[in-house]
Amino acid sequence: MTDVVSAVLLLGGALSCLLGAFGLLRLPDLPGRLQAATKPQTLGLLLILAGTALRVELESAVTLLLVGLFQVITAPVISQLLGRSAYRAGAVRRDLLVADELAGKMPEEDES
Amino acid sequence: MRGRLPAVLWLTCVWVLLWGTFTPASIVGGLVVAVLVTALFRLPPATDRLPVRPLRICGLVLFLLWDIAVSGVEVSWEVLRHGPRARGAIMAVPLIASSDQVVTIMASALSLSPGTMALQIDHDHDVWYVYALGPRDDADVDRARRRVVDMQRRVLSALGSPDEQAEAERLLGRMS
Repeated sequence: MTDVVSAVLLLGGALSCLLGAFGLLRLPDLPGRLQAATKPQTLGLLLILAGTALRVELESAVTLLLVGLFQVITAPVISQLLGRSAYRAGAVRRDLLVADELAGKMPEEDES
Repeated sequence: MRGRLPAVLWLTCVWVLLWGTFTPASIVGGLVVAVLVTALFRLPPATDRLPVRPLRICGLVLFLLWDIAVSGVEVSWEVLRHGPRARGAIMAVPLIASSDQVVTIMASALSLSPGTMALQIDHDHDVWYVYALGPRDDADVDRARRRVVDMQRRVLSALGSPDEQAEAERLLGRMS
């Protein structure tokens, strides 16, 4: 039974990571690709970790929890920094946005 | 020392998890390392104490986990359905939060929410600018905006003051 659940989690995770990679190739602009690189990717990793945790002894499973936690904490920060820099550098394609309420409001120096 | 307690506990926890063994040695070792690290690398003291509502915080954590799952599926769906023709939007959303810690948590929660991330936070005008993947017309943009405010409401119900919670409710009411 454990094997079945674990196999489902592992395969689901792999599929999610695959879709994330697919998104990197198919989505048209940088912020969109950032979403693909962070979200399906994070979900995929968490599923794979959960599937792995079922197969190993408890002490190693606990360490996997830490891996998941750091992924969840760090991925968003990176994507946000990249997204901001891209917008500031004009690397975000305006023609792909249905609304841009930040236009002309980005401060020149970084203060945050 | 009292202000450092949460950081010490957290670092000890990480240390023990890294070793993967719950022995007195690893716990004591973790404590020593945590005390040293917090003594050597002083953080500025947190200005305001967050309210402690264990149940609601657990609820928020569960909601965030659920959000990660929904996010993964929604973004994947967007990739499969629209792919190269996907559209996005950058919206100005009112920011309801007085403390920096809550804003930080909101920004993290936002980047776990489906297809969104914070691009810019303007503290002076209490506005933040949010990118969302997926909206294709104005109605979609408004829906995405509502979702962001709703996420803020959830974070505030765990960590905000009653005033902030009321303001979030008012804002949501105005948007519907």
